[in-house]
Amino acid sequence: MQIHHTDVLCIGAGLAGERVAVEAAMAGLNTIMLSLVPPRRSHSSAAQGGMQAALGNAIMGDGDSPDVHFADTVKGSDWGCDQEVARIFADTAPIVMREVAHWGVPWNRVVPGKHTYYKGGKPFEAEEKAEKAGLIHARAFGGTAKWRTCYTADGTGRSVLNTLDTKCLQYGVTVHDRMQAEALIHDGETCLGCIARCLRTGELVAYLATSTLIATGGYGRIYKATTNAVICDGGGQIIALDTGLVPMGNMEAVQFHPTGTVPTDILVTEGCRGDGGTLLDVNLYRFMPDYEPDKSELASRDVVSRRMTEHMRKGLGVKSPYGDHLWLDIRHLGEKHITTKLREVYDICTNFLGVNPIHQLIPVRPTHHYSMGGVRTNRDGAAYGLKGLFSAGESACWDMHGFNRLGGNSLAETVVAGRYIGKRMVEYTKGATPSFGMQYVDDAHKKVQERITDIVTGRKGKENAFKIRDEMHDIMMECVGIFRNGKDLQKAVNKLEELYDRSQKICLSSTCKGMNPELSTALRIRGMVKLAQCTAYGALMRTESRGAHTREDFPERNDKDWLNRTLAYWKEGASMPTLEYEEASPYYELPPGDRGYGGGVTIPNELPPEKFVIPEAAKENLKKAKL
Amino acid sequence: MNASTITLHVPQRSKIAGRMDFFQMASGVLLILFLWAHMLLVSSVILSPSLMNGIAWFFEATYMAQIGGPAIFVLMVVHFILAARKMPFKQDEWKTFRVHARMLQHKDTTMWLVQVISAILILVLGAVHMFVVLTDLPITAAKSAARIQSGWLYLYLVLLPMAELHVGVGFYRIGVKYGFVGRSKRKWFQKTENVMMIGFITIGLLTLVRFMLLNIQG
Amino acid sequence: MNRMLTLNIFRYNPLDPDSTPRMQTFTVQEYDSMTLFIALTQIRDEKDPTLKVDFCCRAGICGSCAMVINGRPGLACHTQTKDLPAEITLHPLPFFQLLGDLSVDTGSWFRKTGLQIEAWCHSDDKAFDPTAEEMRMDNDLANEIFELDRCIECGCCMAACGTARMRTDFLGAVSIMRVARFYLDPRDKRSEDDYYEVIGNDQGVFGCMGLLACEDVCPKGIPLQDQLGIMRRMMAMHSVKGVLPRPLIETIKKKGCCHAHAQS
Repeated sequence: MQIHHTDVLCIGAGLAGERVAVEAAMAGLNTIMLSLVPPRRSHSSAAQGGMQAALGNAIMGDGDSPDVHFADTVKGSDWGCDQEVARIFADTAPIVMREVAHWGVPWNRVVPGKHTYYKGGKPFEAEEKAEKAGLIHARAFGGTAKWRTCYTADGTGRSVLNTLDTKCLQYGVTVHDRMQAEALIHDGETCLGCIARCLRTGELVAYLATSTLIATGGYGRIYKATTNAVICDGGGQIIALDTGLVPMGNMEAVQFHPTGTVPTDILVTEGCRGDGGTLLDVNLYRFMPDYEPDKSELASRDVVSRRMTEHMRKGLGVKSPYGDHLWLDIRHLGEKHITTKLREVYDICTNFLGVNPIHQLIPVRPTHHYSMGGVRTNRDGAAYGLKGLFSAGESACWDMHGFNRLGGNSLAETVVAGRYIGKRMVEYTKGATPSFGMQYVDDAHKKVQERITDIVTGRKGKENAFKIRDEMHDIMMECVGIFRNGKDLQKAVNKLEELYDRSQKICLSSTCKGMNPELSTALRIRGMVKLAQCTAYGALMRTESRGAHTREDFPERNDKDWLNRTLAYWKEGASMPTLEYEEASPYYELPPGDRGYGGGVTIPNELPPEKFVIPEAAKENLKKAKL
Repeated sequence: MNASTITLHVPQRSKIAGRMDFFQMASGVLLILFLWAHMLLVSSVILSPSLMNGIAWFFEATYMAQIGGPAIFVLMVVHFILAARKMPFKQDEWKTFRVHARMLQHKDTTMWLVQVISAILILVLGAVHMFVVLTDLPITAAKSAARIQSGWLYLYLVLLPMAELHVGVGFYRIGVKYGFVGRSKRKWFQKTENVMMIGFITIGLLTLVRFMLLNIQG
Repeated sequence: MNRMLTLNIFRYNPLDPDSTPRMQTFTVQEYDSMTLFIALTQIRDEKDPTLKVDFCCRAGICGSCAMVINGRPGLACHTQTKDLPAEITLHPLPFFQLLGDLSVDTGSWFRKTGLQIEAWCHSDDKAFDPTAEEMRMDNDLANEIFELDRCIECGCCMAACGTARMRTDFLGAVSIMRVARFYLDPRDKRSEDDYYEVIGNDQGVFGCMGLLACEDVCPKGIPLQDQLGIMRRMMAMHSVKGVLPRPLIETIKKKGCCHAHAQS
């Protein structure tokens, strides 16, 4: 078996992975980046909308500050987030936007003078200030008090990813693409790297690293209808969970995006609504103002998705062979706006739906989109349970999103967390003196090799991987969707337990020398079922409604009992996860209160007064983060 | 810069690649202008042989034919040599391109093969034509007609369309290669180019017909 | 509608000594809004799980699934079956190294070329000041730069390029465009001389034969040939500085140039 040695190992080469890699490489550390696909194909590239940062250059963002951004983020999270982390995020986001601008991101800039913007489909005029000419502009996104989403047309993910990738090239980050991480190498205390399977040759390769980063994005592929890419199968979370030592945080917090298209489930950006697009029902009636008089279409995603589902349940959805849906109307924005600022949307509609959004309505419905949960890390991005293991981006539960994230906050998180956690990782790596015991490499290798042999020979059973996947998809769609209840969740948990058992007995239906693509799927399914179970079980046990987690049988947000975070461990040999809970936030700079949208009742919590004080250590750390 | 090529000497910044490309383009443009002028001048015979004789006499008297003629020949050869750097002379190159063109079914790709073939034909036939004409100065309508009527017609029936095709496609391609003809103008340019090509071939054919019918004795 | 589709798919596993290149035929029932991505996934899930084909975003944004569809390079996810005849022939992209069946290694080539042309912003990264305002930029220029940054590196243009097929060291329009992106960017401090060094040769701008297929097959509709033309003219004019009179060079350079900003 081939063995590579490196200082920093980044598993995943999307925005978070690349940002950390750049930080490490610029600090002079040897850095290897593993990726399922060439880095520029990472799913970050598909993010259209933008990144939130309180720069306050746009006239509609006038008076914005990190404080307002922080408050929006905490409210958006329904007070489920870690407020220390949310604060670090909000305060450093503007710096990071400028930093990537320095590196070459062509952000859209302020053009002084009068402009026509849209809000709720109605045009209005605003005058951009002359003194802000040429600074980074911003657009509106849901759940925010100010316009603060920085963007490059509607290819923000693409352009930032390209820029970071150029820096990886410049600073000599080694990229090993078509590599699937299969297991972490660890000695029970410290993570020493990983065993990966080469998707060109099918061979196993060991990577030994002083510090290892998991930045593999979300695990949306546990759902059938998801906007996530085919590669978003939770690979990073799986190898962390498989250790039995690292917990997943808040796996039940799953976001559904209001505007997934029908029937392809491809996302059209929130920018459509931010720029003035409206949602219409079967009678072409704009219904959102009835539910949310203040924010209408621009309430947070969990709220809009719920309202849409509610409205369709009233029989006001549009019937189609692919199920009910609603309409997104952007026709009034005009041809120029649609073909420039919303060009990806235009392309998607014309190429995949056969709809011309300049003249026609776009069929949309809420579709699985984002995983707030993931590898639970502390403030510095270090995973619980193993030293030397870090995580950043969607794969992590750094936890600035809590139970619902705002549009534009996740894309920003990738680079903001990447910078902050990258610096912490560099510190750790430079200070660490690891010893790489070969027995741990052998252990991990043997485990993976045995699993492969099990699957190839079928000595454990004859289950078909695709079939198990399809059954998992069905149960997740049916029972762990937008509206949840105890009965359905129990059904899902039971079914997933059965599927987990069967997933240990997978056998290939084909043979193929070298790399067999079926084996790649087969190796993943067991872990995906585990992630699905963490999601379903966490949702079953959380008997309240918070953010995107909506229990029909427990409609209130219960701060008294549930102002906390679920930690799901999967102990060695267990058939179910073990759940533990920790406090949602070390302190509450913004005391739990009403979000101002979404309605609902809250059962309050009597927190002791010291919980509202910001500790000195946190203040110090924040100051350091801004340097 | 290839690290293996800088081991023996301190490399100088060379601009030769750009210059060669520029002179390939420039010689092409000059040849195109020449050919068009040439066609128009010769076609004056359609109006009247004495008009053509007059024009020929003018070029003779100003020594433009004696000097310009060989100069054009040299220009043509230089243009060929510069452009031939891209030609698929190796058999596997030729095969690769043929297979590729057949797979793609793409007009501009196929037209390039036409460029290559017409270039070689023009080089040979054009050289013959120039030799014959320039060794028998002065040019007169009667001499030209005599040549055409004595069997040279077939040479011109091949040379004329080949030259016009090569020039037409070449003109368009220079515009494309140097970014003068952008995406929005390409369709219009192609159409104009086709019209001009057909126009010139028609004029050429009419000229040939006129020469065939010209009474050499008179 | 709802035809029976016949897919002739190129099969070859370079890792298997017994494997020889061949065509294999599959039939798939067509349905509404079906794309080649859906058809191929169905084949892989239900008929032959060993079929190697790369998919990622399935939304025309990542560039993974480029292949030759009835003779034309294109994205499988981007291609609706209703736009194709009932018999569809699929080949892997030429030019790139074959990994197996319809999967080719575009990533390595783009990385290698990126290094060759130094595709990054040459500026002083250490000079970044976290407390300072960002460098101001005209919005139109930002849009122009992004226009050249939209490439998804699917490789269709290289597979369609006759020049690259004959001469495998040709950098292709896509690389020239990557350079143009930095040429346009005021944050990149390279001089014309530096750019000439990188692309002023027959592997670079002067190798192009103006075949236009790159632009005609580009799934993102990027004006590749236009961009290459502008760069070629710049580089050619740069090479004849001192040979031709300066005003003539300037006139030719500016003619029909869409880069108003780069000029000033």
